[in-house]
Amino acid sequence: MKLPGLRLYALVYLLFLYAPIFLLPIFAFNDGTIIAFPLKGFTTSWFGQMFGNDTLARAVRNSMIIAVSSAVLATTLGIFAARAGSRFSFPGKGGIMGLIMLPLVLPEIIVAVSLLVVLLGMGMTLSVFTVILGHVLICTPYAIAILNTAFSSLDRSLEEAAVDLGETKWSTFRLITLPLVMPGIISSLLISFTISLDEFIIAFFLAGNEPTLPTYIFSQLRFPKQIPMIMALGTCLVLLSIVLLTIAEYFRRRGIARSGGKDTGGFL
Amino acid sequence: MTVQSADRPSMIEFQDVHKYYGDYHALRGITASIRAGEFFSLLGPSGCGKTTLLRTIAGFEGISSGAVMIDGKHMEHVPANQRPTNMVFQSYAIFPHLSVEQNVGFGLRRDPRSEADKAKAVAEALEMVGLKGYGARAAHALSGGQRQRVALARALILKPKVLLLDEPLSALDKKMREQMQVELIKLQRQVGITFVLVTHDQEEALVMSDRIAVMFEGEIAQLADPETLYRRPNSRRVADFIGVMNFLPATILGEANGQIQVEAAGLGRVEIETNQAPGAISEGEASVGFRPETLTILYEGQTASDRETAGTIDEVVYYGDMTYYDVRLDGVDKPVRISMRNVFGRPVLDIGTRTRVAWSAGALVLFR
Ligand SMILES: Nc1ncnc2c1ncn2[C@@H]1O[C@H](COP(=O)(O)OP(=O)(O)O)[C@@H](O)[C@H]1O
Ligand SMILES: [Mg+2]
Repeated sequence: MKLPGLRLYALVYLLFLYAPIFLLPIFAFNDGTIIAFPLKGFTTSWFGQMFGNDTLARAVRNSMIIAVSSAVLATTLGIFAARAGSRFSFPGKGGIMGLIMLPLVLPEIIVAVSLLVVLLGMGMTLSVFTVILGHVLICTPYAIAILNTAFSSLDRSLEEAAVDLGETKWSTFRLITLPLVMPGIISSLLISFTISLDEFIIAFFLAGNEPTLPTYIFSQLRFPKQIPMIMALGTCLVLLSIVLLTIAEYFRRRGIARSGGKDTGGFL
Repeated sequence: MTVQSADRPSMIEFQDVHKYYGDYHALRGITASIRAGEFFSLLGPSGCGKTTLLRTIAGFEGISSGAVMIDGKHMEHVPANQRPTNMVFQSYAIFPHLSVEQNVGFGLRRDPRSEADKAKAVAEALEMVGLKGYGARAAHALSGGQRQRVALARALILKPKVLLLDEPLSALDKKMREQMQVELIKLQRQVGITFVLVTHDQEEALVMSDRIAVMFEGEIAQLADPETLYRRPNSRRVADFIGVMNFLPATILGEANGQIQVEAAGLGRVEIETNQAPGAISEGEASVGFRPETLTILYEGQTASDRETAGTIDEVVYYGDMTYYDVRLDGVDKPVRISMRNVFGRPVLDIGTRTRVAWSAGALVLFR
């Protein structure tokens, strides 16, 4: 950091990245419907309005159900896939893994539209459940990528040692494998949860009449009077993200400490 | 090297064991017997199949054909977790999320004994490997040597019939390694369990083992006690792998009265006992081998008790307690290596010195 130019660049970069987020709480507590300076005064009424809003409550409930279910399902699938991928070699393994990871690079709108066509073709009614299906599809590749790292950094002889000491395959998995990949599992749950929570396109196409947080926020943006309340909602979401990241980092560090590895820097 | 070990019953039997990894023929007809209570080593260069053979005993590796028996029982349908063997892994495989005593007591989970009895067994096992009082430590905070002791205690607490060790000392530094070699030998005598050690370090195998199987490319080249392996290796390859051996080209002239007549370059005509000539050779080209310490450089006034040959010193390597001389025997191009213990008051010779070398036919080995 000897060049002043680089320092300036870093500063501008961070400002660009985070300034909008700092504006959220400022306007969330601003006593005025127009999002502009100068500020008018302090109020918590936007938060009151937010908590009293039935549709919003419904959207939050839906989003929570979707995000938790998707995270659990995607992570469970990810555990199976990562375990198989890191331990066994079988014919067509590369191709199968490639297909599973494909949604990572496929445009989401294409996934959403094709899912819509298929689900309607099958005669399913659009609901929270169909959104969960879509979100599992896009979260699973992330889960596998995270869990693959966890499983493949696991020394294989640890499992053999447990078997050697009399344990069965299943008790070995429970007593040795699971605890050692737990940090990976928690990361996978949190990342999948976050991806699902703010996912818009699939939710927009597959939710039918049910609101989710992103689709609700989008629908409210047409009404200028609602914007301060959205700011309040955004403030809550930022807080939630910070809490989740802190938990994730805590578990990651604890995982490293437990297995005696070197901390090579996480996402915090 | 106990005398009575030959009478002991066999603990492990390999009967024409073959193992394929796809097309790769990793074990090529292993037939051998490991006796109860002996310290047995599998020695060979990296990739020769030592670990694979060890894992067929543990049950981690199925075999393609043949049979593995442990204590008289066929192991074909016995899974790894039910075999009377325990293993010390090359990486030690200490469970990083458990404490030292949880690691050591891991195998007692299914033991019907009371918790107090198990805790006592764990404490005893820790004491046996010299880790008394380390029980509550986190396993990941241990040093390499300590990890290895934990791995030993964890395996021995189950009182297996056979303890399998896969290069257990290769991760330790030289000093620690030599110390652990001695400790392992003591431990084996103390518990009386059959130890099967995999190593690529010939010195380690010689120091520690009752018997050694030397392996090359999936086959056992020679199975013998350390002294036989060192003195009478049955092929040039085994001789080369274990210690240093000099070779001189030789022509076989004939055989009479249990002795083979040989014309060896530099040494002249010698008679070699047939039991010093593995791999029955009757005639033709061969080579004569001898260890560096079986030749002696004669100083002024000394005479050979058996035979002597003249030569010129080509190279001198001083090791403190020993000096290695490369000597060009008259009539031979390639120098031979001779090791001499340094004695106070006797000078180390210079390069180019003319010298006489004493030797005796009893130390020569004839190779095809
Ligand atoms: N799981 C495996 N799949 C394919 N080849 C293997 C496998 N395990 C070992 N091998 C091969 O078998 C040979 C013997 O391996 P190993 O027994 O580990 O040798 P060593 O322990 O003597 O160094 C090596 O060439 C190795 O590449
Ligand atoms: Mg090996």
